[in-house]
Amino acid sequence: MNETEPHADDGLDALFALARAQRPDTDKAEYAFETRLMARLRATRETESVWARVSWRLMPFFAACVVGLAIWHSEVAAEANEAVQVALTENPDAVDTWNNLN
Amino acid sequence: MVSAESATPDEQLVEATLRGDDHAFAELSRRHKKRVFGVASRFARDAGELEDICQDVFVQAYFKLRQFRRDSPFEHWIMRITTFKCYDYLRKRRREGPVVSVDAMLESGHEPCAPEAPAPHPDLERLHAALAELSPKERLVITLLELEERSVREVADFTGWTETNVKVRAFRARAALRKLMENRQ
Repeated sequence: MNETEPHADDGLDALFALARAQRPDTDKAEYAFETRLMARLRATRETESVWARVSWRLMPFFAACVVGLAIWHSEVAAEANEAVQVALTENPDAVDTWNNLN
Repeated sequence: MVSAESATPDEQLVEATLRGDDHAFAELSRRHKKRVFGVASRFARDAGELEDICQDVFVQAYFKLRQFRRDSPFEHWIMRITTFKCYDYLRKRRREGPVVSVDAMLESGHEPCAPEAPAPHPDLERLHAALAELSPKERLVITLLELEERSVREVADFTGWTETNVKVRAFRARAALRKLMENRQ
């Protein structure tokens, strides 16, 4: 161990002791804290309950959107498949290229 | 409703809060705010930030109260949340930019934590400036161990680190702090 280390640490420990002794006075900040906290909790709960209500009311709309998207996607996919089949039938040389791509 | 004067155990107040009794939670926060403010004041830059940290701690405690397991006291649980919140604030501050001095805060209209406190010792100012330059993890471990005089086991419990990890981080943090202090001399 370095000989200077204990001295350096002594200095640091003395500073820590000084800092411990000078604890910030939080009495003023603590005054009526519960009142402010409960007001914030009430406000947070109200906001959350509004969002929860709106979300639940919009649930049928979101469900309809999901079903609509699923139907549209399946139709588009079927059309694309059909187009590929037609193209491959009309141009047999492209079959190998198509297989390599997949 | 729970009377503020009654000596109801914390666990009963937790149960009452979970049943929807807001007065029970107000009583819990009244009981534990001193400790939360004490730790948070070591990290907060001004009175506004101190209030924000402490409110965040109790708001999180309120909404996660169902996750409180009764295998350790409520005080330990709230101190764990406080530690995480202080660490979050340190990380957020580091992302935001450079350290603001007390003078700059006063000039900008911010109120420091203890405006009526006596002028700090010059060496103490040097220590606080050096602490502000440590990484969030280093500052957290030094503050809890050296300024709050928490044991290695308690720090491990609050942070979720192993005791060995706490010791290693504390050793490195002291070395970093010593170096910063030497550079400031």
